[in-house]
Amino acid sequence: MKTLIVVLALLPLGYTYYALESAIDPIKMLYTTTGVGALLLLLLSLAPSTCQRFCALNLLRFRKTLGLLAFVYALLHVSVFIVLDSELDFVTLFAKSLKKPFIYVGVIAFLILLLMALTSTKKLFARFSRYHKAVYGALVLILLHDFWAQKVAGAFEYGMMAIGIVLLGERVWKECRFNMSKRH
Amino acid sequence: MPTPSITPEILFEARRHFLKLGAGALVSSTALSQLLASMPEEIQLSFTKDPNPLKLTPNTFEQVSNYVNFYEFSTDKTAPVKMAQVIKLKPWSLGFFGEIAREEMVEVDDLIAKFGLEERIYRFRCVEGWSMVVPWIGFPLYKLLDYLQPNSKAKYVKFTTRHEPDIFPDQAKGLFASIKHPYVEGLRMDEARHPLTFLAVGMYGKPLPKQNGAPIRLVVPWKYGFKSIKSLDLIECVEEQPLNTWQAMAPEEYGFYANVNPHVDHPRWSQAKERLLGKLTKQETLMFNGYEKEVSHLYAGMDLRKQY
Ligand code: HEM
Repeated sequence: MKTLIVVLALLPLGYTYYALESAIDPIKMLYTTTGVGALLLLLLSLAPSTCQRFCALNLLRFRKTLGLLAFVYALLHVSVFIVLDSELDFVTLFAKSLKKPFIYVGVIAFLILLLMALTSTKKLFARFSRYHKAVYGALVLILLHDFWAQKVAGAFEYGMMAIGIVLLGERVWKECRFNMSKRH
Repeated sequence: MPTPSITPEILFEARRHFLKLGAGALVSSTALSQLLASMPEEIQLSFTKDPNPLKLTPNTFEQVSNYVNFYEFSTDKTAPVKMAQVIKLKPWSLGFFGEIAREEMVEVDDLIAKFGLEERIYRFRCVEGWSMVVPWIGFPLYKLLDYLQPNSKAKYVKFTTRHEPDIFPDQAKGLFASIKHPYVEGLRMDEARHPLTFLAVGMYGKPLPKQNGAPIRLVVPWKYGFKSIKSLDLIECVEEQPLNTWQAMAPEEYGFYANVNPHVDHPRWSQAKERLLGKLTKQETLMFNGYEKEVSHLYAGMDLRKQY
């Protein structure tokens, strides 16, 4: 089942590779597939725990796979930025990263995902799991980043925003109820 | 000159013209030449060719006609290709008003007949960071202005896209529209009269595809693409500087001038380089999009960082 998820999640990359040759704006296309792919997978990786609370469906075992896949897409996205967009010109690359909020918001989000990916082995996760709450910070930053990447935000960005709010809101709500019940 | 692709629609049009001529047309050669003359112009425009002194290599017609910003239809770049087919090109008259000697409405075909057609192979740079090279067909705006005779109060030219929510769905969305409608652009009179400033009715030898701003649009090659307003409805000569749509939407990001300038970044992204459509590598963006020699005198003494 996990293999199936990995294969399904990587299919769009295969298609992108195939479509690249005839792409009208290839760099933009790579940014979009990898960025949107990372965002969708990240949202999916947050769904299992909500799902468990609401529909008694335990999909928690897929969380890590989905999270790591999101990281793979994010890594490719950042590679597009470094290799194709900045053409390995690290001076401009750092200048851009520091000056443009749109870019450094993405960089911070990526660093969070990177740390989570590095500490996702069983042994390290046992020690670092509580830091994995940082994913919520990453999600907020990425939603902001996606918003800023557009000349004007459209239905897709608002949709992603809405899903993000539902997933985050559900957790906040859960925490509140939990704290209330502790007091009684 | 690329051979035009013959679409079923054109064949249908041609057949209709043919039937109008009646059965005699089958044998009469004069009728045959009449038929050819009355063929719909979808087939070819006649125009003087651009000698292309800059040796620019145009992008393909497929690239240019499948990658457009036409927010009246969608913020997506390919969706307008299908959606724009609802535009009805004939009749389409353009209104000329304001500080001019002759206020009137003129059919696009009559404009073409009056001013003739020429080809201009221009670079086109979008503020989003992509660029292309397009062989436009049309006539320079100064020819039209000479005809309209602006008076001494005419300091600016204001352009407005047609407002017709039945055609342009985004215009019907009210508060939820992606941008403010109708789309407005403006040029200072000296910019408008510059010989490079162009009104395009075609490209690649054919009338403009609907998604590229048919039947008539502005092309200002040294400015970011959003200045090159599509599907024009009104051209007015005015005293005050018009508030162009993108400036109204986000004044700290888009100004009135919008000259292509690799040294002045957009607040959110760099403008130093550009992605030429179809290329996986980037290229340097040129000052005034490569038209510095021709236009820099228009901005002598201006601080281009402030007047972006
Ligand atoms: C070092 C970190 C990052 C950098 C430098 C970066 C850079 C960029 C750039 C330059 C664009 C705009 C492309 C364009 O429209 O021209 C973009 C778009 C986008 N990025 Fe990132 N990004 C980073 C991290 C991330 C991460 C971690 C995610 C998601 C997990 C992400 C998701 C997106 C999305 C969804 C878009 C919008 C795609 C579109 O609509 O075309 N980015 N990014």
